Amino acid sequence: MMRINPVLQKELKIRMRGWRAAGMIGVYLIFMTLTASFALIMSMDDYYRSTIDPEVALGSYIGLAVMQLVLISFISPALTTGAISGEREKQTLDLLLSTPMTPLSVITGKLFASISQVILLIIASLPIFSIVFLFGGISVIELLQLFGFFIIIAITFGSIGIFYSSYFKKTTAANVMAYGTIAFLCFGTIFLTILYLGITRNYGYKGFFPFLYANPIIGFTSILWDQVGGGNVNIFPGLIFGNTAAASHISTWIINLLFNIILSIVLLILSAKKINPLKERHRGRFYLSRKGKK
Amino acid sequence: MLKIKGLVKKYGKFTAVDYLDLHVPKGEIYGFVGPNGAGKTTTMKIISGLMEADRGEVYVNDIDVLKNQRKAKEVIGYMPDFFGVYDDLKVTEYLDYYASIYKINAKERKKICDDLLELVDLQDKKDAYVDSLSRGMKQRLCLARSLVHNPELLVLDEPASGMDPRARVEMKEILRVLKDLGKTIIISSHILPELSELCTSIGIIERGKIVISGTVDEIMQQVYRKRFIKVKIKDKTEECAKVMQEHPLITNIIKGENSIEAGFEGSEEEMAMLLKELVMRDIPVISFGQMEGNLEDVFMKVTKGDEA
Repeated sequence: MMRINPVLQKELKIRMRGWRAAGMIGVYLIFMTLTASFALIMSMDDYYRSTIDPEVALGSYIGLAVMQLVLISFISPALTTGAISGEREKQTLDLLLSTPMTPLSVITGKLFASISQVILLIIASLPIFSIVFLFGGISVIELLQLFGFFIIIAITFGSIGIFYSSYFKKTTAANVMAYGTIAFLCFGTIFLTILYLGITRNYGYKGFFPFLYANPIIGFTSILWDQVGGGNVNIFPGLIFGNTAAASHISTWIINLLFNIILSIVLLILSAKKINPLKERHRGRFYLSRKGKK
Repeated sequence: MLKIKGLVKKYGKFTAVDYLDLHVPKGEIYGFVGPNGAGKTTTMKIISGLMEADRGEVYVNDIDVLKNQRKAKEVIGYMPDFFGVYDDLKVTEYLDYYASIYKINAKERKKICDDLLELVDLQDKKDAYVDSLSRGMKQRLCLARSLVHNPELLVLDEPASGMDPRARVEMKEILRVLKDLGKTIIISSHILPELSELCTSIGIIERGKIVISGTVDEIMQQVYRKRFIKVKIKDKTEECAKVMQEHPLITNIIKGENSIEAGFEGSEEEMAMLLKELVMRDIPVISFGQMEGNLEDVFMKVTKGDEA
């Protein structure tokens, strides 16, 4: 029988207890419903016609997707930045590490407990997204593609939260660093690209600047761009939507997803290394062997 | 059961544990005594796999703790000096969580939790939230937690710290039961008389080194190079004192109204011979025995303190 990670099991039990989880889903769905209603009303106002236009559906779809991304970006780190620092603050981490459980199991258990809550929110929003099927224009596969992207983004942002949670003793510091890093990925990468191309006077840069593959907003825009069938658009030198990675024929969002997956794995391994109390073994031995025995 | 050879741990230039050697046989309760910063917690953390040693070897049941952490952690139960609890968990859920970490199946877990709660006398609190327990109860629960996987060695870092006198007595009773169950226990404390009552052996640690180690009697003998005996007599105090004064192994006689205290530089067999001699000389002996050592005196004598 498959054994569930005990940390994940315990965290889920605690998180799902009481009205907190239900309340969170409720508030989340209210936000999403309001966004869908607002997008529908805004789109229809422009037309005043009795027939259904697929563009109305696309407007709502994009509005909902943007709102979902914003909420995930705020919720995922918030749920994970206290995961390890909270254990330290509560003085329960040593108890956990004195058991045969590996630091990586502790880290993954904590991450997936938080992410499962985000996944629950994403799945709960599925009926609201299905409004677009009334109007057409978006297929089920495309919707699942977008949801898969959201889940990977949630894992990445969650891993960033866990990483800082293991490196900082205080949850507040971990929070600041996690949101700072996410802001850097979302906006800093764009700023640095513009800065670099400006300094090197490379205004006529052709193609997609590699640094921007790390940007989740650009990955997200790319997936929506592909789904709604937008043409080639050059936003600024280095940032193109449409047939961007012409040389590789791979969409920007796929490369962004790969980057996110690799980043998450690296951050989780580093977090596990950080909380492992036995990390200094070889360095210590080397130091003493050089000094010689007493 | 527990063997430590040449253990070294440094924090920068400060040496917390300095080539420490220790041997605790199976079934013993070993008291680890020392002033603050002597290296007790560091040593205990290294034994429990929570800290890296710079040098040395630690074996628990012949398992190399520093090389085979996972296997070692399965036979060690650790209780830290400071610890927290998950406030959203109930007492049984708390124990069940740790039992599940040790891969104990759900059916067994329930029985283990019930047995442990009975051992630490918390059955009536099984459905209470952990956070609502008193400090003493939390300490007992943490002790129960360290026992969920039936470890052979228990490493208890100041388990009675911050407890009121009643809670201390209760904790001592639990430790006695564990001793009867054959557990090997290494326990640190500042309350020296408590350790002398409970422990089979004691080690005094200072500046990362074991200054003295052995049973309380052995330590007293090592420090004072003699035992202290007390004889209670119905009468004939003078005659008894004279017999004792003539005995070659007796020193420093202190006469009381109906008792005599004296130093004795001999073995237990020689002590028995002395008693026999007193009885044969018709001295009405009511009681004859070795005086309990004053461990605090020993502690002050063998440790130098920060100024030294």
